[in-house]
Amino acid sequence: MNPYVLMILMSSLGLGTTLTFSSSHWILAWMGLEINTLAIVPLMAQQHHPRAVEATTKYFLIQAAAAAMILFTSTTNAWISGQWDVTGMPGPATSTAMMFALALKIGLAPMHFWLPEVLQGLDLLTGLILSTWQKLAPMALIIQTTQTTDPLILTSLGIASSLIGGWSGLNQTQLRKILAYSSIAHMGWMIIVIQYAPQLTLIALGTYIFMTSAAFLTLKVLSATKINTLTTTWPKSPILAAIATLVMLSLGGLPPLTGFMPKWLILQELTKQDLPATATIMALTALLSLFFYLRLCHAMTLTTSPNTINSAPHWRVQTTQNSLPLTISVTVTMGLLPLTPAILMLTT
Amino acid sequence: MAFYLSFLMAALVGGMIAIASNPAPYFAAFGLVVVAGVGCGILVSYGGSFLSLILFLIYLGGMLVVFAYSAALAAEPFPEAWGDRVVFWRVMVYGLVVIVAAGFLLTGDTGLLMSVDAFKEFSVIRADVSGVAMMYSSGGKMLVICAWVLLLTLFVVLEVTRGLSYGVLRAI
Repeated sequence: MNPYVLMILMSSLGLGTTLTFSSSHWILAWMGLEINTLAIVPLMAQQHHPRAVEATTKYFLIQAAAAAMILFTSTTNAWISGQWDVTGMPGPATSTAMMFALALKIGLAPMHFWLPEVLQGLDLLTGLILSTWQKLAPMALIIQTTQTTDPLILTSLGIASSLIGGWSGLNQTQLRKILAYSSIAHMGWMIIVIQYAPQLTLIALGTYIFMTSAAFLTLKVLSATKINTLTTTWPKSPILAAIATLVMLSLGGLPPLTGFMPKWLILQELTKQDLPATATIMALTALLSLFFYLRLCHAMTLTTSPNTINSAPHWRVQTTQNSLPLTISVTVTMGLLPLTPAILMLTT
Repeated sequence: MAFYLSFLMAALVGGMIAIASNPAPYFAAFGLVVVAGVGCGILVSYGGSFLSLILFLIYLGGMLVVFAYSAALAAEPFPEAWGDRVVFWRVMVYGLVVIVAAGFLLTGDTGLLMSVDAFKEFSVIRADVSGVAMMYSSGGKMLVICAWVLLLTLFVVLEVTRGLSYGVLRAI
């Protein structure tokens, strides 16, 4: 792709999210979402092979449908209430429709079916953009609008996403699909707590972005898209394989790592709100996700996979890929738990 | 006037059925043209004649491009029209859904005739024309963003469809 075109697309990606973040008017928020969708389409299809094109087409159709639903709902809202404010959504009809449109945009179950299919067709860096940057703008709108949404819908969406994200990931051998289901499960955790403590949603989103960036960048450096490939990484780059294990466990939410922080705080908040059943279900669904992360760890570090070369150490050359983003995201993924009070302060 | 408006709205829904019943792209594009034209007619009868003219010119200009592209990309030897069996049944089902929904929703006074200008012909400022003035004065920044989006869309379309042998839509 021409670097000037790439510059236009990248800056428009930034512009779209910034517009949605800074707008209090539905039309402008919708425009930001549309700019985001448009700008990522050529990036997704830049390989021009049929699988990428199929993923792009699916993504475009889904996002266009969700954006049209947002536009219709906000117009209906303006018709009923006479105002275009993002925060005020009086009436259950509009707030419910808006919640479902935004859920379709970020891929919450049961509107999640497009996400694994789309992510599987992309290369890892575009997949990284799709599962981090593209979640920001819809999540900003969700945080602003859900204060008037029916709690039953939010709880159902949250539990369904966490459950289905964990459950569907069990059967996968393709890493991008596993990461897609992990994204769905994490989104469920963010939605379940949004009405009780929106700042915990922000924390969960922030930590998820760093953790999934670490996972995607690790896979990029290892150039692995299947579990099969992962099993042969330990002789090739042992340090990265060891660290990748910790990254996966952090995504799964095990205690000394960053991933434990959002789950801990969210469970604590749910318990404080006197919702022990919801908290228990969420904790149990996290185990489902943990299973496939553990399987990745097991394949990466604890098995000696049958391979054509039977000597353990390989000849290793220094990687030519830029490793600074990987270093930063991996550090954040592994070591933020002791800073929990400071991070809580950041969002309040 | 009420009859005229009812006719236009029926034609609008009919045009949407014509698109949604999934015929060949040639005919679906024709359905879009019908919807656009009739929608502009409805705008005229609500008092937005200038807005309607602008919409008609620009939307149909875009429609022409869409028609050319869909005709070029999906060159089918035997395009399905609305009379063909599969499409015909879809038309029937959608038509039935529309009639049933209309029977439930269109009850009592629907308030079809409302002009955007409160005083009709006696208004000093026409609503649609003053809206255009607003767009160029206080909505200037929005206009800049809209122009940027159009430029972005141009680049997106060029990037997605470039190349002869690996044009994106043909790869599927």
